[in-house]
Amino acid sequence: MAFLINCPNCGRRNPYEFKFGSECKQAPEQGADMKAWCDYLFFHDNMPGFQDEWWYHTLGCGDWVKIKRNLATDEIIEE
Amino acid sequence: MAPSKKLLQYKQPEKSYDVVIIGGGLHGLATAYNLARYHGVKRIAVLERRYIGYGGSGRNTEMVRSNKRAHETLPFYKESLEMWDDLSAELEWNLMVQKKGIIALAHSDPELAAMRMMSDSQRRAGIKIEMLSPAEIKKKVPSIDISDKPALPIFGAQFHPEGGTVHHDAAVWGYAQGASRHGVDICVGVEVTGINIDAGKVTGVETNVGSIAAGKVHVAVGGYSSEIGRMIGMRFPVETYAMQVMTTDVMKPFLDYYVASPRLHFYTQQTLKGDLILGGPLDHWQSWNSYATWEESADRASRIVEYFPDLAHARVVRSWSGICDCTGDSAPIMGGCGIDGLSLDIAWGYYGFKSTPACGKYSAEYIVTDRMPDKIKHFGLDRFFTRQLVREVIL
Repeated sequence: MAFLINCPNCGRRNPYEFKFGSECKQAPEQGADMKAWCDYLFFHDNMPGFQDEWWYHTLGCGDWVKIKRNLATDEIIEE
Repeated sequence: MAPSKKLLQYKQPEKSYDVVIIGGGLHGLATAYNLARYHGVKRIAVLERRYIGYGGSGRNTEMVRSNKRAHETLPFYKESLEMWDDLSAELEWNLMVQKKGIIALAHSDPELAAMRMMSDSQRRAGIKIEMLSPAEIKKKVPSIDISDKPALPIFGAQFHPEGGTVHHDAAVWGYAQGASRHGVDICVGVEVTGINIDAGKVTGVETNVGSIAAGKVHVAVGGYSSEIGRMIGMRFPVETYAMQVMTTDVMKPFLDYYVASPRLHFYTQQTLKGDLILGGPLDHWQSWNSYATWEESADRASRIVEYFPDLAHARVVRSWSGICDCTGDSAPIMGGCGIDGLSLDIAWGYYGFKSTPACGKYSAEYIVTDRMPDKIKHFGLDRFFTRQLVREVIL
């Protein structure tokens, strides 16, 4: 596979062990209008470049992992 | 040897056009063709940064069908499917349209019930659909295993006789030639780097070969719409996923139908050449990277072999992937985006290829009239703010 995900509990693992959880986004404040919620729910940055995203380690520890991955090259920056 | 005639002549873009179409894939070329042929628009350019048919147009699994669910989309897909019939004659180019029929397998009673329900909506839209028993499936596809051996045995199927295949490269060349014959400038190697907007109205595009003025700009960029979004300071409700396809070596003809399993997410057909094309689900994570992975190929192969045990000897000779822009409701985005003169034809996800003819027709109509035609009125970008999503299913 083109890249490995570094799970803090399990080490570097094949991405097929994970469930992709999409881009990390900031939910609107309580009381925000419907437009802000629609924007949060449906719209995505989706650019070729680095993105912070969630992955769920289904076949491992069962934890959510946050990584920074380049969507165009699958390069991962480990912090 | 007979002197070879050039199929079409690529052009260098001029300084100004009535309509500039970004993206030389099937949708862009079809829209250009329709504008030139049916609406008498004279000065049209199709700008393509790589080569025509580079993206999804040349990477799909060639399936055309209209067995969908949502009543908003069914008439559109039905019309598109019918339009393929006469297209070869119209474009004077053999698109190798072969309506061989699609068999969609069900692996449980609830699934069969859901399929019956879906079939009823399809029949109401005038689409021919039959339900098949396992014995009837076996009669159509003798090599399929209808026994209890597979982990998920076959309970029945939905048969869509009008579905089938069209050669995708032939479609690209057919539309490109058709457009070129009607005076459209097809410019390859021209990359759009910016869109010029003045007081809420589009005035042209910036490219790597200079700026081009345009009265209208149409975006038909397949899996790359977010890049256009960035140029005009907008985000679109899409995520980009890759989809992988693989083909086997050539075998003698044994499979007359397109066989699919919506539940197990595989579909296969034997091409006229004799190789099997195996398609599957989208990749499991967002990516702009088109690669083919061992895991995905192995997964697909194991599922096919379960139902076609004779294929155990087949070899995979080639695999590739293409990228798809997917919306949350698996329906596309067409029409305007709040900027005068800028129209969208994006986010087709899985369904871009089959919808090409109708999409070209209605995109052209929208560009000329600035009014959303009835058949695509549910596909507007504003549905994500009014929360009128299309109730479509992914299959």
